[in-house]
Amino acid sequence: MEADLILEKINEILVDEFEVDADIISPESNLKDTLGLDSLDYVDLVVAIESNFGVKLGEADFVGISTFSDFYKLIETKIQNKN
Amino acid sequence: MKCALITGGSRGIGSAICQKLAESKKYHILINYQYNQEAAEKTLEEVVKKGATGEIIQFNVSDSEEVKCVLTAWQEANPDAVVEVIVNNAGITRDGLFMWMTHEDWNNVINTSLNGFFNVTNFFIQRMLRNKYGRIVNMVSVSGVKGTAGQTNYSAAKGAVVAATKALAQEVAKRNITVNAVAPGFIRTDMTSQLDEKELIKMVPANRFGEAEEVAELVGFLASDKAGYITGEVININGGIYS
Repeated sequence: MEADLILEKINEILVDEFEVDADIISPESNLKDTLGLDSLDYVDLVVAIESNFGVKLGEADFVGISTFSDFYKLIETKIQNKN
Repeated sequence: MKCALITGGSRGIGSAICQKLAESKKYHILINYQYNQEAAEKTLEEVVKKGATGEIIQFNVSDSEEVKCVLTAWQEANPDAVVEVIVNNAGITRDGLFMWMTHEDWNNVINTSLNGFFNVTNFFIQRMLRNKYGRIVNMVSVSGVKGTAGQTNYSAAKGAVVAATKALAQEVAKRNITVNAVAPGFIRTDMTSQLDEKELIKMVPANRFGEAEEVAELVGFLASDKAGYITGEVININGGIYS
């Protein structure tokens, strides 16, 4: 899957899962603050990513993830490693 | 399919809880047992008599690999099943004075009560969080609250589950999941059949041992949607022996 398609799909998932407007998401915004994630919301995020991309995310994966851009890169890497 | 899992559900308090939860007809009852299949089948019969459905799942709660393996297979066979209620009831006693206690007796009791709670609850918690509803009831004991001589291992295991109950309750409350502990005193079951009832009731203000059904009534309430604002609590049910 190409990077821009992954990005598009991730945004789609986030909008749907966390009921936010698509236009508040930008690559350099803070993921946690923009989506209003609390610690339990990460469960929803992990499950949504796993069911859509077939990759598992653990607590350690989120270390150093600050922006949407960081998150896109994480998922891209996970998908590449899977294939 | 909404399910309620009761570990150690084949006998005693566990069996009474299975039957109580069956009365609501809201849940498919999952009866876990380790050794006594005949008793588990008898409990299932009673569950069905009350108009609910159920099934028997055998695993050793203290064996993390076995728990994962059996529950994964069950969840894959029942992808739409949601476990809304978990009653962590499986427990064993290996009583003895602490100075004579073996490492094995210490570990076995801790592994069943404390690690059993972790193994089973941890398996289901993510799905429960996603489902935004859950009831977790941990069966502890008066020993875990006040401590009982001759039961250092059992008191330690149950006391640890009390603390875990309070911590987990705070973590998951936002998602409409409650976590409570029930601490029975002397209840007439196989586990207490070796005790000198006549002698021990002198300690009990109510002047009798409790019945498993009385404990099941309390668990049935905590497992219901009516108990949604009670969480992180330890509820004693002991005839006034200790509160």
